Amino acid sequence: MTVVAKSKNADRPSTPSEPLTTFGRYAGPATLILSSLAEGPKHGYALTKDIEAFSGVRLAPGTLYEALSRLESQGLIEALASEDRRRPYQLTAGGATALRAHLADQRRVADLGLRRLAGTWGAA
Amino acid sequence: MIQAPETPARSAEHLLRWYPKDWRLRYGDEFAELLTSELSERPRSWRRSVDVAWHGLMTRLTKTGLAGQIVEGNDQARAGLASFGCALAVFLGFGIAIWSQLTIGWQWSQPSAEGTTMAEAVMSVMLLIFVMLTAIAALPIAWHILVRFLRREGGGLVRPSLLFVVGATVLIIGSRHFGNGWPGTGGHPWAHQGLVPGGLAAFTWASTLSVSSYWVHPGALAAFPPAEIAWMVVSPLAMTCVVVGAAKTVRRLELSRRVLRYEGRLASIAVVVMIGFLGGSGLWVIDGGPGPRNLFHAGAIDVAGLTAMAMALAVAYRAISRARRSGLLLPPG
Repeated sequence: MTVVAKSKNADRPSTPSEPLTTFGRYAGPATLILSSLAEGPKHGYALTKDIEAFSGVRLAPGTLYEALSRLESQGLIEALASEDRRRPYQLTAGGATALRAHLADQRRVADLGLRRLAGTWGAA
Repeated sequence: MIQAPETPARSAEHLLRWYPKDWRLRYGDEFAELLTSELSERPRSWRRSVDVAWHGLMTRLTKTGLAGQIVEGNDQARAGLASFGCALAVFLGFGIAIWSQLTIGWQWSQPSAEGTTMAEAVMSVMLLIFVMLTAIAALPIAWHILVRFLRREGGGLVRPSLLFVVGATVLIIGSRHFGNGWPGTGGHPWAHQGLVPGGLAAFTWASTLSVSSYWVHPGALAAFPPAEIAWMVVSPLAMTCVVVGAAKTVRRLELSRRVLRYEGRLASIAVVVMIGFLGGSGLWVIDGGPGPRNLFHAGAIDVAGLTAMAMALAVAYRAISRARRSGLLLPPG
């Protein structure tokens, strides 16, 4: 099952971070989840607490699981077997590649913005 | 008696009910655990409740092809076409109620306002196109169903097909029965100047008898014959059987890419026709006037009908545009 990108610019070459661009308004939660799982497997509540700790964003349960199910259907994360009802998730190799490319894109934008700010407004 | 406060686990189970059964089978346990932990930490949060309810409803809508991720493949296209069919049925339910009201009025007296005449002409032409589109859309689907049954592979189609047939039979027999009793149509001495044959006007009027403002006037409704009140309850149920049966049948049919593309094109044309029909109905409500003997008076029920039609049109457009984005309804290449 392939998820179809919402991008109207069909001629634009795809990048390794392409899977995350198809998430629309769930790209933010997806990035936070993948960043949290980059450290190791976590279940839903542990993800919520970790994301809140490192980003200040508390993902609501419905939003978290919508993003988790999308990430799982795209093969970017996978569920692990569990003995209790809390099921942990871990990053896949594809998820790691997508996250690395997506964060690199974001860093390029952040670096550019900071350079321009420094040029016009001076360094902080 | 004082009720014991709800435990977090029990509240979590309640919240979980917003999601469909198949989602609960896959994620239910872990999601309930997360909700229980959240509820233990923060017992009250209206934002959390709204978030869960919203995503639960959206997950339910995903199966209809109206929300969620657009996936490439047969499933999205079939779900979109089935939802389109349901939206079209709702649209036509209200639309035919308006149209038949005008055609019945025309049996008694010609409308004096140009707006009503024009509206009735536009709606009649659009309705004729709907009939033709439905016929040519149903042909390949009926063929596929027949082939499945001939190959003895129609197991999954028996119940939805039966639902469709039973609903259609009840609707046809009931509409004919109640249409025949209506004065001014079907051979009545006054039925001489209608835009369409009196029998057809009466049939469509009887089939949409439930779209009525009498529901909010129980006193007046109580004066109706009991059989007619019963029909006002039964006919929408029969219509629902027809629509659900047809939608479920389409969902369960393995249609080829070519057939899906064909159905998608017809659906796109139907959206344009829906806009035309809605325009005609709107023209009558805005510019029609009550006409002779108040026969063409537009009431609150007609405004409500127009609103429902506009909403159904929006759903139909969304269903078919998402189905097209799945790639199956687009020409190859």
